[in-house]
Amino acid sequence: MASRLSGGGGLVTYLLAAAVLVFVLAPLAVVVAVSFSTAPLAIFPPVGFTTSWYEEVLANDEFQSAFIVSVTLAVCSTITSFVLGMPAAYALNRWNVPGSRAIEAMLLSPFIMPILITGLALLQFMAMLKLRDAALGLFIGHVLVTLPYLVRTVTASLKQVDRSLEEAALTLGAPPWKVFTKVTVPQIVPGIAAGCLFCFMVSFDEFPLSFWLSNAETMPLPIFLQNSMTKVFDPSIAAISSLMILTAAAAVIGLEKLVGLRRAMSV
Amino acid sequence: MVATAQASDLAFSGLTKLFGTTRAVDGVTLRIAAGEMVALLGPSGCGKTTTLRMIAGLIEPTEGDVLIGGMRITRTPVHRRNIGMLFQNYALFPHLSVAENVAFGLQMRGMRKALIKPKVAQALSLVQLGALADRLPSALSGGQQQRVALARAIVIEPTLLLLDEPLGALDRNLRDSMQVEIRQIQQRLGITAVMVTHDQEEALTMADRVVIMRDGKLEQVGTPEEIYSRPTSRFVASFIGTCNFLRGDVIGQEAGRPQVRLAAGGQIALPSPANDQKEVLVSVRPEAISLSAEERGTPATILQIVYRGQATHVHMALDDGTPFLAFLPNRDGKPVRSAFSTGDRIWASWSPDSNWAVSEA
Repeated sequence: MASRLSGGGGLVTYLLAAAVLVFVLAPLAVVVAVSFSTAPLAIFPPVGFTTSWYEEVLANDEFQSAFIVSVTLAVCSTITSFVLGMPAAYALNRWNVPGSRAIEAMLLSPFIMPILITGLALLQFMAMLKLRDAALGLFIGHVLVTLPYLVRTVTASLKQVDRSLEEAALTLGAPPWKVFTKVTVPQIVPGIAAGCLFCFMVSFDEFPLSFWLSNAETMPLPIFLQNSMTKVFDPSIAAISSLMILTAAAAVIGLEKLVGLRRAMSV
Repeated sequence: MVATAQASDLAFSGLTKLFGTTRAVDGVTLRIAAGEMVALLGPSGCGKTTTLRMIAGLIEPTEGDVLIGGMRITRTPVHRRNIGMLFQNYALFPHLSVAENVAFGLQMRGMRKALIKPKVAQALSLVQLGALADRLPSALSGGQQQRVALARAIVIEPTLLLLDEPLGALDRNLRDSMQVEIRQIQQRLGITAVMVTHDQEEALTMADRVVIMRDGKLEQVGTPEEIYSRPTSRFVASFIGTCNFLRGDVIGQEAGRPQVRLAAGGQIALPSPANDQKEVLVSVRPEAISLSAEERGTPATILQIVYRGQATHVHMALDDGTPFLAFLPNRDGKPVRSAFSTGDRIWASWSPDSNWAVSEA
């Protein structure tokens, strides 16, 4: 894992990896660069250097409320996905649940459903139930799309846990719940962390669902961003985008510090 | 010294496990004395592991009962059975240090920290790993890891020690010394133990009694010597060590010994009265055979001579084509008889005490 690739194959691998990184990161770098531009419009290459766009954005009440909505939504969806997804993944993997494959497929189905359509369906469904609360609608919708990520990663890490560890703990006198907390959970912490990170990022970045379910009072950041862009395309848009990138980076780095991201991603 | 709880005997009666319609274990009944070490031996799929896991409580039997010290524990959950178990892959908790691994079972019993510490130290010194207490399992070799697992299993003073192919992942030399070490500790503590293995040498080395299993049933139960020298069936004889099989007809008795005319030519005697059957299958161990250029015994043709260090293996064919094998001991690493060569016609002879009639199946 830590060993370096060598030879012609190694060179090709490194070049390919570098190319992929450039393609993925270059547009992000453009956005960040533009956010410091003094030009009144978002143009590249940027002109001069200023942090005034950030000051403007951060002072904006609408941005502040959108940011708080997004972070709250992401945190709540992540926690709820964890609370619902952990027992689900565990039960599906460790117990003899009748129809477990069907249940797992159903839990993971939001992966393959077009989210835009899911959002529309959810909107109609909630109108039928007379649920007019946008915050609640967004929360339910976000949990729906983040839950599969948690179930998927926790399932993957549960499958990697050596069953004989759990059996050994049982023979040593640990009741099943202690086997879970003392032996199983420490093995799958990286998977749980990765799952939670995915949940947070997916929710924080979620557009198609929020597009249907948000309203003027409860507007997540991506919707706010899109709304602002249709008004005026100045570097404040780039500044908002950069702040979103920063939040994502903070989440990734936090996870790396907490459990080691390389371990977390190894599932 | 790690003490054990009062050693208990173990019994199972009519133990049966069905997986779907497959009878993985089929009506196994056995009694294991307190302090005894029994090896369940057999080819893969014979039901030995399933039997062990039913004793542990990791699998629930379809029928039958498991009793420890006369107490029926068939429906007792694993964590209340007070067993120590060794797994083939050691199953050490990777996130805990060696000492924490050993302490785990004591913590589960709610023992106070002050009491746990000396017990862990004792157990680790018993397996000669006191110096490695603070290491993580991943920093240990395979042999050291299984020693930690042994310390972890015995520190809880189990009523029963279960070993599931404990040395299967180790290389030959280490396996040999670990066999002796585990056996010594088991005897010293007087723990009743059941081991599963597919390695016949391991079973002979470690066990007081060997249980040969086949298709979910007991094929033969006996001491290593009984199993080796008095196999009941062709299956057992060929599973434990190497064996020659000769077909013949009983043609009469001489001094209480049935005389057998071999299909391959020659006549041999059986050491004890065979049952009334006319046709018999006689097993002879290769190390019992001596070869001679003189016309004495059963004629054979040498196919191949293989030098194997402590012995030379001579592969032969009897006159009716039956394969026949002799192990000739080497002295100072040199073959005692080097005069033979491939293609030679020679005569094989052995003591009638080496003959043993076995059932065909």
